[in-house]
Amino acid sequence: MSESKVGCKEVMEHICDSLGEELDSPKCVAIKSHLKVCTNCQNYFKSVEKTIEFYKLYNPELPEETHENLMKKLGLD
Amino acid sequence: MDEVELISKAQTGDRQALSELVKKYEKTVYNFSFKICRNPEKAENTMQETFMSMVKSLKQFDGKSKLSTWLYRVVVNHCLMDLRKKKRNFVSIDDDEGEVPEGSLIPDWKNIPDDVTENNELKKILDDAINKLQPDYRVVFVLRDVNGLSTEETAKITDLSVPAVKSRLHRARSFLRNEISKVME
Repeated sequence: MSESKVGCKEVMEHICDSLGEELDSPKCVAIKSHLKVCTNCQNYFKSVEKTIEFYKLYNPELPEETHENLMKKLGLD
Repeated sequence: MDEVELISKAQTGDRQALSELVKKYEKTVYNFSFKICRNPEKAENTMQETFMSMVKSLKQFDGKSKLSTWLYRVVVNHCLMDLRKKKRNFVSIDDDEGEVPEGSLIPDWKNIPDDVTENNELKKILDDAINKLQPDYRVVFVLRDVNGLSTEETAKITDLSVPAVKSRLHRARSFLRNEISKVME
Protein backbone atom coordinates (compact mmCIF):
# COMPACT_ATOMS: atom_id res chain seq x y z
CA MET A 1 0.00 0.00 0.00
CA SER A 2 1.30 3.43 -0.92
CA GLU A 3 2.31 5.66 1.98
CA SER A 4 2.16 8.85 -0.01
CA LYS A 5 -1.56 9.44 -0.48
CA VAL A 6 -3.84 9.46 2.53
CA GLY A 7 -6.83 11.82 2.72
CA CYS A 8 -8.22 13.50 5.82
CA LYS A 9 -11.28 11.26 5.76
CA GLU A 10 -9.14 8.14 5.88
CA VAL A 11 -7.14 9.56 8.75
CA MET A 12 -10.36 10.22 10.61
CA GLU A 13 -11.65 6.71 9.95
CA HIS A 14 -8.54 5.23 11.50
CA ILE A 15 -7.93 7.78 14.21
CA CYS A 16 -9.22 5.39 16.87
CA ASP A 17 -6.40 2.99 16.19
CA SER A 18 -3.87 5.80 16.23
CA LEU A 19 -5.10 6.86 19.66
CA GLY A 20 -5.28 3.56 21.45
CA GLU A 21 -3.55 0.79 19.57
CA GLU A 22 -0.07 -0.36 18.66
CA LEU A 23 -0.37 -0.68 14.91
CA ASP A 24 2.43 -0.80 12.42
CA SER A 25 0.36 -1.60 9.36
CA PRO A 26 1.22 0.32 6.16
CA LYS A 27 -2.06 2.23 6.54
CA CYS A 28 -1.19 3.38 10.04
CA VAL A 29 2.34 4.29 9.06
CA ALA A 30 0.85 6.37 6.26
CA ILE A 31 -1.62 7.96 8.66
CA LYS A 32 1.17 8.91 11.03
CA SER A 33 3.19 10.42 8.16
CA HIS A 34 0.15 12.37 7.03
CA LEU A 35 -0.51 13.61 10.56
CA LYS A 36 2.98 15.07 10.78
CA VAL A 37 2.29 17.45 7.90
CA CYS A 38 -1.48 18.08 7.99
CA THR A 39 -2.54 20.79 10.44
CA ASN A 40 -6.18 19.99 9.84
CA CYS A 41 -5.77 16.37 10.93
CA GLN A 42 -3.54 17.38 13.83
CA ASN A 43 -6.30 19.68 15.05
CA TYR A 44 -8.87 16.92 14.64
CA PHE A 45 -6.64 14.38 16.42
CA LYS A 46 -6.03 16.81 19.30
CA SER A 47 -9.71 17.68 19.59
CA VAL A 48 -10.65 13.99 19.87
CA GLU A 49 -8.03 13.57 22.60
CA LYS A 50 -9.37 16.68 24.33
CA THR A 51 -12.92 15.26 24.16
CA ILE A 52 -11.79 12.08 25.92
CA GLU A 53 -9.87 14.15 28.48
CA PHE A 54 -13.03 16.18 29.25
CA TYR A 55 -15.07 13.05 29.88
CA LYS A 56 -12.42 11.73 32.24
CA LEU A 57 -12.71 14.90 34.34
CA TYR A 58 -16.21 14.29 35.58
CA ASN A 59 -16.45 11.40 38.00
CA PRO A 60 -19.57 11.36 40.14
CA GLU A 61 -18.85 10.88 43.84
CA LEU A 62 -20.42 7.90 45.55
CA PRO A 63 -22.67 9.53 48.18
CA GLU A 64 -22.21 8.17 51.73
CA GLU A 65 -25.94 7.49 51.92
CA THR A 66 -25.79 5.42 48.72
CA HIS A 67 -22.92 3.37 50.19
CA GLU A 68 -24.89 2.82 53.42
CA ASN A 69 -28.03 1.82 51.48
CA LEU A 70 -26.01 -0.74 49.56
CA MET A 71 -24.46 -2.29 52.65
CA LYS A 72 -27.90 -2.46 54.29
CA LYS A 73 -29.44 -4.07 51.21
CA LEU A 74 -26.71 -6.72 51.23
CA GLY A 75 -26.97 -7.25 54.98
CA LEU A 76 -23.38 -6.11 55.43
CA ASP A 77 -24.01 -3.04 57.63
CA MET B 1 -5.44 -9.93 51.31
CA ASP B 2 -5.47 -10.17 47.50
CA GLU B 3 -8.60 -10.46 45.39
CA VAL B 4 -8.37 -14.21 44.75
CA GLU B 5 -8.15 -14.83 48.49
CA LEU B 6 -11.03 -12.42 49.18
CA ILE B 7 -13.24 -14.17 46.61
CA SER B 8 -12.31 -17.58 47.95
CA LYS B 9 -13.17 -16.56 51.53
CA ALA B 10 -16.39 -14.83 50.45
CA GLN B 11 -17.41 -18.01 48.60
CA THR B 12 -17.25 -19.92 51.86
CA GLY B 13 -19.56 -17.37 53.53
CA ASP B 14 -16.99 -15.02 55.12
CA ARG B 15 -19.02 -11.79 55.53
CA GLN B 16 -15.93 -9.68 56.21
CA ALA B 17 -14.35 -10.79 52.93
CA LEU B 18 -17.60 -10.14 51.06
CA SER B 19 -17.82 -6.68 52.59
CA GLU B 20 -14.22 -5.97 51.49
CA LEU B 21 -15.05 -7.06 47.93
CA VAL B 22 -18.09 -4.79 47.80
CA LYS B 23 -16.10 -1.83 49.15
CA LYS B 24 -13.32 -2.51 46.62
CA TYR B 25 -15.68 -2.25 43.64
CA GLU B 26 -18.60 -0.04 44.74
CA LYS B 27 -17.11 3.23 43.44
CA THR B 28 -16.21 1.69 40.08
CA VAL B 29 -19.67 0.13 39.71
CA TYR B 30 -21.45 3.34 40.78
CA ASN B 31 -19.39 5.58 38.48
CA PHE B 32 -19.86 3.27 35.53
CA SER B 33 -23.59 2.86 36.19
CA PHE B 34 -23.96 6.63 36.45
CA LYS B 35 -22.15 7.21 33.16
CA ILE B 36 -24.30 4.68 31.31
CA CYS B 37 -27.71 5.17 32.97
CA ARG B 38 -27.26 8.98 33.26
CA ASN B 39 -29.36 9.24 36.41
CA PRO B 40 -28.33 9.05 40.12
CA GLU B 41 -31.34 6.95 41.16
CA LYS B 42 -30.87 4.50 38.30
CA ALA B 43 -27.16 4.34 39.11
CA GLU B 44 -27.89 3.47 42.74
CA ASN B 45 -30.48 0.90 41.73
CA THR B 46 -28.14 -0.67 39.17
CA MET B 47 -25.31 -0.79 41.72
CA GLN B 48 -27.57 -2.59 44.22
CA GLU B 49 -28.81 -5.06 41.59
CA THR B 50 -25.26 -5.72 40.44
CA PHE B 51 -23.94 -6.53 43.92
CA MET B 52 -27.01 -8.57 44.81
CA SER B 53 -26.39 -10.57 41.68
CA MET B 54 -22.72 -10.91 42.65
CA VAL B 55 -23.60 -12.20 46.13
CA LYS B 56 -26.08 -14.68 44.63
CA SER B 57 -23.69 -16.02 42.00
CA LEU B 58 -20.35 -15.75 43.77
CA LYS B 59 -20.17 -19.48 44.54
CA GLN B 60 -20.28 -20.22 40.81
CA PHE B 61 -17.57 -17.66 40.00
CA ASP B 62 -14.65 -19.70 38.65
CA GLY B 63 -12.08 -16.92 38.35
CA LYS B 64 -11.53 -17.53 34.63
CA SER B 65 -12.30 -13.88 33.93
CA LYS B 66 -11.74 -10.88 36.19
CA LEU B 67 -14.43 -10.07 38.75
CA SER B 68 -14.49 -6.50 37.40
CA THR B 69 -15.27 -7.81 33.89
CA TRP B 70 -18.21 -9.75 35.30
CA LEU B 71 -19.46 -6.71 37.26
CA TYR B 72 -19.22 -4.46 34.18
CA ARG B 73 -21.26 -7.01 32.21
CA VAL B 74 -24.05 -6.99 34.79
CA VAL B 75 -24.17 -3.18 34.78
CA VAL B 76 -24.24 -3.04 30.96
CA ASN B 77 -27.06 -5.58 30.74
CA HIS B 78 -29.07 -3.84 33.45
CA CYS B 79 -28.70 -0.30 32.10
CA LEU B 80 -29.20 -1.22 28.45
CA MET B 81 -32.32 -3.24 29.22
CA ASP B 82 -33.70 -0.28 31.12
CA LEU B 83 -32.84 2.24 28.42
CA ARG B 84 -34.30 0.01 25.67
CA LYS B 85 -37.58 -0.23 27.59
CA LYS B 86 -37.86 3.56 27.43
CA LYS B 87 -37.30 3.52 23.66
CA ARG B 88 -35.90 7.04 23.65
CA ASN B 89 -34.86 8.52 20.34
CA PHE B 90 -31.09 8.67 20.28
CA VAL B 91 -29.09 10.16 17.45
CA SER B 92 -28.22 7.45 14.94
CA ILE B 93 -24.54 7.32 14.14
CA ASP B 94 -24.62 4.19 12.03
CA ASP B 95 -24.03 6.26 8.94
CA ASP B 96 -21.46 8.93 8.15
CA GLU B 97 -23.39 11.88 9.55
CA GLY B 98 -21.01 12.24 12.46
CA GLU B 99 -17.97 12.58 10.25
CA VAL B 100 -16.17 15.78 9.39
CA PRO B 101 -16.44 16.28 5.62
CA GLU B 102 -13.27 16.06 3.58
CA GLY B 103 -11.74 19.47 3.00
CA SER B 104 -13.42 21.25 5.92
CA LEU B 105 -11.17 23.41 8.06
CA ILE B 106 -10.78 22.13 11.62
CA PRO B 107 -9.89 24.83 14.13
CA ASP B 108 -7.40 24.30 16.94
CA TRP B 109 -9.11 23.83 20.31
CA LYS B 110 -6.27 25.59 22.11
CA ASN B 111 -8.36 28.72 22.50
CA ILE B 112 -11.39 27.43 24.36
CA PRO B 113 -13.64 30.30 25.43
CA ASP B 114 -13.41 31.00 29.19
CA ASP B 115 -17.16 30.95 29.64
CA VAL B 116 -17.20 27.34 28.42
CA THR B 117 -14.60 25.97 30.81
CA GLU B 118 -15.68 28.11 33.73
CA ASN B 119 -18.88 27.55 35.71
CA ASN B 120 -20.72 24.40 34.71
CA GLU B 121 -21.19 25.08 31.04
CA LEU B 122 -18.67 22.50 29.90
CA LYS B 123 -20.20 19.84 32.13
CA LYS B 124 -23.63 20.57 30.68
CA ILE B 125 -22.31 20.40 27.12
CA LEU B 126 -20.64 17.04 27.84
CA ASP B 127 -23.78 15.72 29.52
CA ASP B 128 -26.01 16.80 26.63
CA ALA B 129 -23.67 15.26 24.07
CA ILE B 130 -23.35 11.89 25.79
CA ASN B 131 -27.10 11.80 26.47
CA LYS B 132 -27.72 12.00 22.73
CA LEU B 133 -25.33 9.15 22.02
CA GLN B 134 -26.87 5.70 21.47
CA PRO B 135 -26.36 3.68 24.69
CA ASP B 136 -24.58 0.84 22.86
CA TYR B 137 -21.97 3.32 21.66
CA ARG B 138 -21.86 5.09 25.03
CA VAL B 139 -20.93 1.82 26.75
CA VAL B 140 -18.00 1.24 24.39
CA PHE B 141 -16.76 4.83 24.74
CA VAL B 142 -16.92 4.82 28.56
CA LEU B 143 -15.33 1.39 28.96
CA ARG B 144 -12.54 1.97 26.47
CA ASP B 145 -11.73 5.67 26.71
CA VAL B 146 -12.95 6.84 30.11
CA ASN B 147 -12.27 3.71 32.18
CA GLY B 148 -9.23 2.71 30.12
CA LEU B 149 -10.11 -0.95 29.48
CA SER B 150 -8.50 -2.78 26.58
CA THR B 151 -10.35 -3.32 23.31
CA GLU B 152 -10.41 -7.08 24.03
CA GLU B 153 -11.91 -6.65 27.51
CA THR B 154 -14.47 -4.18 26.15
CA ALA B 155 -15.41 -6.74 23.49
CA LYS B 156 -15.84 -9.41 26.16
CA ILE B 157 -18.08 -7.20 28.32
CA THR B 158 -20.25 -6.06 25.43
CA ASP B 159 -20.35 -9.36 23.50
CA LEU B 160 -19.02 -7.57 20.44
CA SER B 161 -16.16 -8.51 18.13
CA VAL B 162 -12.91 -6.54 18.43
CA PRO B 163 -13.47 -4.82 15.02
CA ALA B 164 -17.03 -3.91 16.11
CA VAL B 165 -15.68 -2.32 19.31
CA LYS B 166 -13.14 -0.31 17.28
CA SER B 167 -15.78 0.83 14.82
CA ARG B 168 -18.22 1.91 17.54
CA LEU B 169 -15.45 3.62 19.45
CA HIS B 170 -14.42 5.63 16.43
CA ARG B 171 -18.01 6.66 15.70
CA ALA B 172 -18.71 7.54 19.33
CA ARG B 173 -15.54 9.65 19.52
CA SER B 174 -16.37 11.45 16.28
CA PHE B 175 -19.94 12.08 17.36
CA LEU B 176 -18.97 13.47 20.79
CA ARG B 177 -16.13 15.48 19.33
CA ASN B 178 -18.47 17.03 16.74
CA GLU B 179 -21.13 17.82 19.34
CA ILE B 180 -18.59 19.55 21.59
CA SER B 181 -17.04 21.37 18.63
CA LYS B 182 -20.25 23.38 18.28
CA VAL B 183 -19.21 25.40 21.33
CA MET B 184 -15.43 25.13 20.99
CA GLU B 185 -15.03 26.57 17.51
